[in-house]
Amino acid sequence: MDSGDLIRTTDLCRYYRRGPQEVRAVDGVNLSITKGEFLSIVGSSGSGKSTLLNLLAGLDTPTGGGIDVAGERIGQMSRWQLADYRATRIGIVFQSFNLVSHYTAQKNVELALYFTDVARSDRPKMAAAMLDRLGLGDRLDHRPADLSGGEQQRVALARALVKRPEILLADEPTGNLDQTNTEQLAALLAELHSEGLTIVLVTHDLALADRSAQRVVRMHYGRVVDGEMPPTGEVRP
Amino acid sequence: MTIQDLLLMSAANLWRMKLRTFLTMGGVVIAIGAFVSMVSFGAGVQQNVSEEYEKMGLFTTMQVYPADQDSLTDTTKVVPPLNDSIVARLGELPGVRLAYPYDAFELTIELDTQKFTSDGQVLPQAAIGTRMFSNLVAGRQPHPDSTGEAMITDEFLHDHKLGKADSIIGRTMVVSVSSPMLDSAAVHVVREGRDRLDFWRDSVEVDSLFEGSYLRRVLMGELNVAARNFFEGYLRHPQITRDTLTIVGVMERPESHRLRVKSVIIPDATARRFAAAKGGPRPEDLLAAFQGGRIDNLFGDGTSAGGGSYDRVTLDLEPGVSYAALSDSIKALGYDSFSYLAQFEEIQRSFYYLQMILGVVGLIALATASLGIVNTLVMSILERRREIGILKSLGADDRHIWLQFIAESGVIGAIGAVAGILLGWVVTRIASYIAMRFMEREGVTPIDLFALPWYLILIALAFGTLVSVAAGLYPAARAARVDPVEALRNE
Repeated sequence: MDSGDLIRTTDLCRYYRRGPQEVRAVDGVNLSITKGEFLSIVGSSGSGKSTLLNLLAGLDTPTGGGIDVAGERIGQMSRWQLADYRATRIGIVFQSFNLVSHYTAQKNVELALYFTDVARSDRPKMAAAMLDRLGLGDRLDHRPADLSGGEQQRVALARALVKRPEILLADEPTGNLDQTNTEQLAALLAELHSEGLTIVLVTHDLALADRSAQRVVRMHYGRVVDGEMPPTGEVRP
Repeated sequence: MTIQDLLLMSAANLWRMKLRTFLTMGGVVIAIGAFVSMVSFGAGVQQNVSEEYEKMGLFTTMQVYPADQDSLTDTTKVVPPLNDSIVARLGELPGVRLAYPYDAFELTIELDTQKFTSDGQVLPQAAIGTRMFSNLVAGRQPHPDSTGEAMITDEFLHDHKLGKADSIIGRTMVVSVSSPMLDSAAVHVVREGRDRLDFWRDSVEVDSLFEGSYLRRVLMGELNVAARNFFEGYLRHPQITRDTLTIVGVMERPESHRLRVKSVIIPDATARRFAAAKGGPRPEDLLAAFQGGRIDNLFGDGTSAGGGSYDRVTLDLEPGVSYAALSDSIKALGYDSFSYLAQFEEIQRSFYYLQMILGVVGLIALATASLGIVNTLVMSILERRREIGILKSLGADDRHIWLQFIAESGVIGAIGAVAGILLGWVVTRIASYIAMRFMEREGVTPIDLFALPWYLILIALAFGTLVSVAAGLYPAARAARVDPVEALRNE
């Protein structure tokens, strides 16, 4: 592992059975992501990119190989260490936002701080500040149902960022957004990357990947194929 | 995640499903209400008995009586009489403050124009001072220096319709004691003997007296006549002693029949005037003495009836005395004993079983209510799968999710238990009101049949919460096992 690698996967596999059939969702993926890098993983539906992201997030468990984050193997972490990893070191954004519908925007963002060491009294201020930064300062008390798709995704992004994670994992964050909101989100991700945040973006939107990421990898049937692609979309030799 | 966060989140989740939460909680409320009201009944009756014992000083009272001859292992051993010297020895046993005999006799009372027969009880002044005789309804206890005062019981007042307790204080009554006397029996034998001279003169054949069989027959006949005259004189010519006593107090008669408290309590200083007239032994003792050839026993030291023996002796004990050790000491003297504390413990045990049964009925209701909690939480898991996934993606571990569901079931149980205790209390107050009115109508002193002691409140609260938490264990474990990847998968 290079000294600059923040994340490295080694022969990473995630197989599962569906009836009599074995599904190889992730099949021997070797990937290195350096600190501060913006990597985009592209591929068609069912290519295993979301599974790879879940493995990187520690939400799923590999059936083979391993993931090292800053030299620490995720597979060797206890359940509590893994929960702490999710609570403090990574932020996740999902395609379907995954906001708690009965909480306000501010409360949804605060929720990410429940599992950190942040003092109870500081949580509302931090959540409000992050929402304000993402242009939702006037939407603190709104519930998800009262917000547009773009606003909901920004609340989800605020929730992922409020704990100041080392890595942002975004799984099809623009999948439910219109063009304008997609552009806004892309600009936000670029801004966060420029501030030094390591970002892993999973998308099937090649244009977005091209426009935002420093590096793009393509997945097909659980494998990284044709090597890594530069942002231009050309396959690296 | 702090405890406060956990409880607030749980409360918020429950509040979000108000109707379902209140219906689930309703089961707990009814179950705890039933548990509290049923156990409260047992606790109330127990408290009343305990208070009665405490008031009468029965926890420090013991009774001593001659052992049953049949119960003696050594059948040749004779049960020693319970006489004054034994009373004195009992009084010297460690832990005994006072020993006094049960000394009662029948008396005739004339009060104004009324005349009735009743029972009197002689007590030493120290015994009158014990708690058993200190529960006054009116007036005071007889003064130690006075020799003309007596107390009556409220039962006596009630039985003879003598009006209110206060109105009888200060009134005088003429007390008559009829005593069969050995002296009067002897006098009767002599008096009747004079008539026998005529019989001898007219009927006895002097010449035949020298024939052995005739002489024996005549002498046996005379002995029979003398014996008959003796008993006639003893039974039909008692000595009557009359005295005037002032009623100075009315005391509450203890309920226990074992206490044998008589209607008129006469201090021994006052009763001494009757002592001179205190008769001989009971007729059955007299007959037994004749049959057994123990006539000399009848002429004892004259300190008590029946040749100096009592039915029983009451011991007033120091608090905290060892009943077992004292009972052994009494046994060693050849007597049996009865402890009210032991009786109370027996009653306590019965109440314990009663409360257990009532409690179990309440707990069955609670167990049924807990099924409602399981159902509510399992439904909640299905509805909140995605939320659980979100929390896990944000850093919640299985324990956080488990705790949240446990907290929710605990909140349902705790709030349900508090409301159930209130419901139980309201039910017992209503039941108590109805029962007391009924007792009043029946002429019984109304007592509160229900009690809500602190321990019952704490037990109900603990049971309600713990059973609910236990009901939450399965749903909580199931919620903790929710796979975040599955839960967050796009639909």
